[in-house]
Amino acid sequence: MTNTFMLYAMREWQLLFRNSSTLAQPLCFFVIIALLFPLSLPAENALLQRIGGGVIWVSAVLATLLSLESMFKPDYHDGALEQWLIQPRSLTLAVVAKVFSQWSATGLILTLFAPVLCLTFRIPVEQIWVLFVGLLLGTPSLTLIGAIGAALTVTLHRGGVLLAIIILPLYIPILIFGAGMVTQSAQGADITGQIYALAAILTLALTLAPFAIVGALRATID
Amino acid sequence: MNPFVTVWDFFGRLYHRLASPREFYKISRFTTPVFGLLFLLLTAAGTYLGLFVAPADYQQGDSFRIIYVHVPSAWLSLFIYMVMATAGAIGLIWRMKMAYVVVICSAPIGAAFTALALITGSLWGAPIWGTWWEWDARLTSELILLFLYLGAMALYYAFDDRKTGERATAVLAVVGVVIVPIIHYSVEWWSSLHQGATVFRAGGPAMPSSMLTPLLLMALGFTFFYGYCLFLRAQNMVLHNERNSRWVKDLINELE
Repeated sequence: MTNTFMLYAMREWQLLFRNSSTLAQPLCFFVIIALLFPLSLPAENALLQRIGGGVIWVSAVLATLLSLESMFKPDYHDGALEQWLIQPRSLTLAVVAKVFSQWSATGLILTLFAPVLCLTFRIPVEQIWVLFVGLLLGTPSLTLIGAIGAALTVTLHRGGVLLAIIILPLYIPILIFGAGMVTQSAQGADITGQIYALAAILTLALTLAPFAIVGALRATID
Repeated sequence: MNPFVTVWDFFGRLYHRLASPREFYKISRFTTPVFGLLFLLLTAAGTYLGLFVAPADYQQGDSFRIIYVHVPSAWLSLFIYMVMATAGAIGLIWRMKMAYVVVICSAPIGAAFTALALITGSLWGAPIWGTWWEWDARLTSELILLFLYLGAMALYYAFDDRKTGERATAVLAVVGVVIVPIIHYSVEWWSSLHQGATVFRAGGPAMPSSMLTPLLLMALGFTFFYGYCLFLRAQNMVLHNERNSRWVKDLINELE
């Protein structure tokens, strides 16, 4: 099982690293979205510091969403996805490997880069840690839940906006807990509750979402 | 004979009858007018009792009477989503055609009731809370529910192939039902202005019966209205889907 998983994951990573522009795109998008906020709001350090955590979370959600459209599409168009569906090995395992490599190329990179953005928003170091932990727990859930939408819209030619409409409402809890964590810690409140909530959502997404993704793929691809 | 087995047997037969579009059509020819009639009777009684018999609220005066539309709509917005998810699961597990019809036909009705709950809530909030909209837990989660309905409808209509669209929408409905409670509690935790539960709560309803009876009548009446709309829409969809089958052609010939 571990071997199969690694085989799938290695394939995905190879595909991702051979086309390095797909790796850079979500990160560029993430930074650009975050930078739009200081430019469009009054340039007060106190305000930026207060909204910084929320802005970075919204940017991370949008960057993840943008990367999802290309998650299954290339495999669908070259026929690899159909081979996955008819092969004897576990499709669930393949899907988990795909989500994992997708996350490592988007969510993980965003999380690692987020502290740098925090500095431009003048967020204090303690809260940078809070944001980092929140993103580390939250972004895998974003990719897992988003992959359900990506699987549902894989056969559609123009699925981008539709994907956003069906997936963004499902992202709200993660956004509330993740961004709420930063705000709460800025006020000196306890944030264990939010960490537990994010961890619980991740556990739930990790156990249920793969089956939903498989169901969605089987439902849409004949 | 064991009564449980008999009841089970009855539902088993009903299920198999409902699974066939033709049988469903026959049954719905009977249930649709019954539901419509029950809706009219219950809503008429509820409206009369609510507007003329129930006393004015000691704080809110007559403006509280919008509750007789607001609460039933809010109840149905959740109930219809549950129906959609259950039907979606049945469709996906047992490959039942009619279950998909229920999912697809319920979505616009659910969206309409959710919008109605939001609009009446806003109208109620304006004089009582002094605001049309507040970023409050109940209001926000109801708004998110509206987007879930609209997303399900958009997904269905995005597919050229009707059957693929049905299956995809069913998957989305089932996924949504797992997440709706999480959304609800996350939003609740985040902020709240809306009052707590009044009818379904530990220790019985916190409402005098003169106010509660019309509310329950209206809620039941609205639910029958949903049943009426659902069966009407499902009838149309069945006839459209099965337009090439023998029994539909016979039906049309009979009419002519």
